[in-house]
Amino acid sequence: MNDVLSKSATASEIARAVMSGKVKASAVVDAALKRIAATEPAVNAFTDIVADRARQRAAEIDAGRHLGPLMGVPFAVKNLFDIAGLPTRAGSKINVDGPKAARDGALVRKLEAAGAILVGGLNMGEYAYDFTGENAHYGPSRNPHDPSRMTGGSSGGSGAAVAAGEVPLALGSDTNGSIRVPASLCGLFGLKPTYGRLSRAGSFPFVDSLDHVGPLARSAEDLALAFDAMQGWDPDDPVCTDRDVEPTLETLQHGIDGLRIAVAGDYFARGGEPQCFEAVAAVASALGATRTVVLPNAAAARAAAYVITAIEGAQLHLPRLRARPQDFDPDTRERFMAGALLPGSWYVKAQRFRRQYRAEVLRLFEEVDIVLAPATPCVAPKIGQVMMTLGGVELAVRANLGLFTQPISFIGLPVVVVPTRKTGLPIGVQVIARPYNEAAALRVAAWLEKQGVGASLTA
Amino acid sequence: MADDKPDIARWVDEGAKAIGLPIAPEYRDKVILNVERSLAIAQPLLALELDDELTPLPVYRP
Repeated sequence: MNDVLSKSATASEIARAVMSGKVKASAVVDAALKRIAATEPAVNAFTDIVADRARQRAAEIDAGRHLGPLMGVPFAVKNLFDIAGLPTRAGSKINVDGPKAARDGALVRKLEAAGAILVGGLNMGEYAYDFTGENAHYGPSRNPHDPSRMTGGSSGGSGAAVAAGEVPLALGSDTNGSIRVPASLCGLFGLKPTYGRLSRAGSFPFVDSLDHVGPLARSAEDLALAFDAMQGWDPDDPVCTDRDVEPTLETLQHGIDGLRIAVAGDYFARGGEPQCFEAVAAVASALGATRTVVLPNAAAARAAAYVITAIEGAQLHLPRLRARPQDFDPDTRERFMAGALLPGSWYVKAQRFRRQYRAEVLRLFEEVDIVLAPATPCVAPKIGQVMMTLGGVELAVRANLGLFTQPISFIGLPVVVVPTRKTGLPIGVQVIARPYNEAAALRVAAWLEKQGVGASLTA
Repeated sequence: MADDKPDIARWVDEGAKAIGLPIAPEYRDKVILNVERSLAIAQPLLALELDDELTPLPVYRP
């Protein structure tokens, strides 16, 4: 049990302490704001801090309002989530000149309704077109485990804030890996739920066909707690599912009995550095998973996700690319411009292929419940590093950090990243389940945590 | 065959004109590089043959 005012405290520990009256929400928020002030110069996770709002909310909780399972838990959100009264930056300079959000994004409202307390907005790669956590306007978010290294992105501030212990819980978004890459490089548990499971209303879009939102935290229990509080149909997001809420916290400690677990081979077993495959092997061995399965056409799935991203993302930003090209981050500008010039036939083919790949992968999930794969092909590269060597081949860092995440989000499968850490820099493993079975992936993550195979430590 | 290789610089220049996207000279080289990269990354998809019956899902549900 951690001291609930310390940087190591988890959301669950804080909520239990506030609920039982052992500690005031105001004391928790003050401690978080103090840590943020002390830590920011090293990690650059926050772009906006809403201290007055957070203190007021904490005072209301201490006066007996906003009771819920996340009572008193400070959290922060990637700055593409609307925060009432602030412009929704989405990592850009351009959006700062746009309107201020009239109200909080849907998930901010849901977490606060459950008793959590928003403390600020977090740094991110511009318009989420990023795997590094670098940003020309606001500076790179820095990896708390080694500030000369990347957090990964695009939810880089979310990774840095939780790994540094500034807050126990953050929200990110994931189109191709933007929750899972920072979770891996910063050593965190991260949940990219099923496509459409959580409402994206009140968040700045990137690629509607592939955009997901979800939490990053330092324990599987915290992911389950936050996920359960955020589930539910929302008419403001046309993609949001109207399925019943399926709580995951109550089955979290049920262990792994009855789950058929396999390792993803072929595409997911090559093209990475040895650490990523060692991490998968360690997790598979702890779980007793001996079977290997092949996700057919994974390379084409990655290509299709890339094409959909490039074309939809560019189309969204075309008016801004015409009017204010000089105000884009140089690391996104020309990629967006290139995306605007790619053929429509590629896009339609990618969407047609998504249907085929979905059917093929769902067939695979009739035989297994969980598939394990690396989250990133390597540990955190240095900030500013442009090229890297993967499996002996020289490749661009930006395009390839999401090599193993893209073919999974392409069809919207739920994934929990489990951080593994023997020595040195962290690296994560993707625990992948069939659509809407977040509960199984979270059970596996909780079990691995209990065995000491998965562990998330503050830097 | 070398003749089959697209002239990407021309693709970028003419495509940008066609969609009304001015590309300043200082951005042009990187745009060309990114179209080249996209062409390479898209290959595994472009190489596939899909059945005629395979239409995109009007609303995607995982």
